[in-house]
Amino acid sequence: MTTEMRKTGIDVVGDMPWGTHVCLFYETKEDLLDTLVSYCKAGLESQEFCLWVVAEPVREEEARHALKQVVPDLARYLADHSIDIVSAGDWYLQGGSFDLKRVMSGWHERLALALARGYAGVRVTGDTAWLEKKDWKGFCEYEETLNESIANQRLAVLCTYPLAACGAAEILDVARTHQFAIAKRHESWEIIETPGLKQAKAEITRMNEELEQRVVERTSQLTAVNEELRKEILERKRAEEALHQAREELAHATRVTTLGELAASIAHEINQPLAAIIADANACLHWLEADRPDLDSVREALAAVAKDGDRAAEVITRIRGLLARASVAHGPCDMAGVIGDVLPLVRPELGRHGMILQMFLAPDLPPVRGDRIQLQQVLLNLLVNAVEASREVPPERRRLTLHSTVEYRDDGPWAVVGVEDGGVGFREPEADRLFEAFYTTKPGGLGMGLSISRSIIEGHGGRLWATANADHGATFHFALPGMQ
Amino acid sequence: MSSESPVVFVVDDDRAFRDALRRLLTSVGLSVEVFPSAQAFLSNPRRHAPGCLVLDVRLPGLSGLDLQQELANTDTTLPIIFLTGHGDIPMSVRAMKAGAVEFLTKPFREQDLLDAIRHAIDRDRVARTERLELAELRRRYDLLTPRERDVMGATVAGLLNKQIAGQLGTSEATVKEQRGHVMQKMQAGSLADLVRSASRLGITPAGSGPTPPR
Repeated sequence: MTTEMRKTGIDVVGDMPWGTHVCLFYETKEDLLDTLVSYCKAGLESQEFCLWVVAEPVREEEARHALKQVVPDLARYLADHSIDIVSAGDWYLQGGSFDLKRVMSGWHERLALALARGYAGVRVTGDTAWLEKKDWKGFCEYEETLNESIANQRLAVLCTYPLAACGAAEILDVARTHQFAIAKRHESWEIIETPGLKQAKAEITRMNEELEQRVVERTSQLTAVNEELRKEILERKRAEEALHQAREELAHATRVTTLGELAASIAHEINQPLAAIIADANACLHWLEADRPDLDSVREALAAVAKDGDRAAEVITRIRGLLARASVAHGPCDMAGVIGDVLPLVRPELGRHGMILQMFLAPDLPPVRGDRIQLQQVLLNLLVNAVEASREVPPERRRLTLHSTVEYRDDGPWAVVGVEDGGVGFREPEADRLFEAFYTTKPGGLGMGLSISRSIIEGHGGRLWATANADHGATFHFALPGMQ
Repeated sequence: MSSESPVVFVVDDDRAFRDALRRLLTSVGLSVEVFPSAQAFLSNPRRHAPGCLVLDVRLPGLSGLDLQQELANTDTTLPIIFLTGHGDIPMSVRAMKAGAVEFLTKPFREQDLLDAIRHAIDRDRVARTERLELAELRRRYDLLTPRERDVMGATVAGLLNKQIAGQLGTSEATVKEQRGHVMQKMQAGSLADLVRSASRLGITPAGSGPTPPR
């Protein structure tokens, strides 16, 4: 706000910012009046409150008369107190002597009042023709104080000094206590440069140059950075696409690998009913060879053959479902069903490693929205991991607990499944690394299983995490929001 | 020789298969007992009956191979036929080295299993007979006095009565009398009989005062 420029009405000065404190040395009364009417006119036209302090030989009426020549509706301004013309005696010397504090607070009061009444600011001019030698020092102090306090205020002050009353020493004092000085001698102008002004001008020039230089530099820097960013964004996009593709491929590869590892178990799953069927068929043949066949036994064996045939067919159906690569659209999915799908596949694997399975399943798990095959894959992965982690531990620790619970959260019920083992486990700092791609603790492990599993669960709006058990092993949990 | 009829013990955790196997073996006139786990089998007192054991390699808890080890550590000498869902070569080598009769992969040919069972039961019968005979020989040997044992050792080593008398510092007549007691107590009809019994008892002909291993 203080950088807002105001018209001074003085040609030689041009525009000024608020906070300007300038002094004018004048030769004649005409020089003074010419300058000040122009100064006040500019102030009134800019909706500023003007205060004109006159001193002998100029009197208030004379000032009003001179101003009226250039401001035809001065009467209105005077009536609504947009301008006050007062005598130096009333302003500076109230009570007979000059009081710095009183005069200073007088300015600030006027300023506060003017701002409260909606003026843009306060424009002041004060003449010093009344000054006597004895007051000079005190007045210099006042000018200095004003010079310092005026900055950042909506206040502009023009102090006028008669040249006739000023010796060289006084001119120096005045120049020192103002931001700059101008002089009007017989209608011609001179600008007296003060060291401060000179310095400020040089500073401004330097700063301008520096600023321009910095703008150039920053612009070129920004251009470079922009270019860099554009490149980076492109690169990242490409990398993301590549990663996505690699993930897809690995997900498939992992599924195939897991299946490869499970192929033996699956063969076992089919062999088991097949072996039973063959044994029963042979038993029937033996019985039927007898003279009086034991038909009850034959019937019992044939019933078992039919049942085992169904069992083998069921295994085949499940494998088909698991092998289907194309992911099915998300639909309602019941976690108990997913558990039921996967358990028969891992049961033989558990048996082969002498693992004991315990289950604590909630009867009222909410259905979730998801891809049944992907969820089977996650559970399968966690179970196979648990078996692998338990491979080298003593037999009494080869146990696996599968639990499912319902958790009631703000957004409804969630299905939570936990796979707990007594295997080698992990140290707590590893907890998050476990889910990083290519991080593995298994010899020959790809390090993709958990990473993919987490992607799948997160893709379902759920969460997959691991905790270290108090005694041995680890528990992997995943939580999925129930369907609304 | 035991008069008990042989029993086929089956240990398999798959109930359907276990029952089918029970029906198959029953249909050919074998007596069968089935168990769902190694522990269930071990806690059964009838496991000392003659016969054989049909054992699944993969079992929850104690595996088939663990059970084989466990039985070897006790005095149970039941011949074992292993069954497995898929042939795992290191596993089958291990099982055979530890004395398994047969290692069959499911699904197996019925005849292979029945042959293996017959073979195993025969082997068990022979082994049991041999064990009984050895026990009888040991009982007879225990009846000998220390001096008679010395004479027996020297005799089966092929020494003449005179040489034995010189070695033991006694008369030839005494040796002849003691040798008569040995032949009688060991129920040996000839010197050849006595030598056979000594060899089965593990008495080496060379040493003096041999100790048969128990």
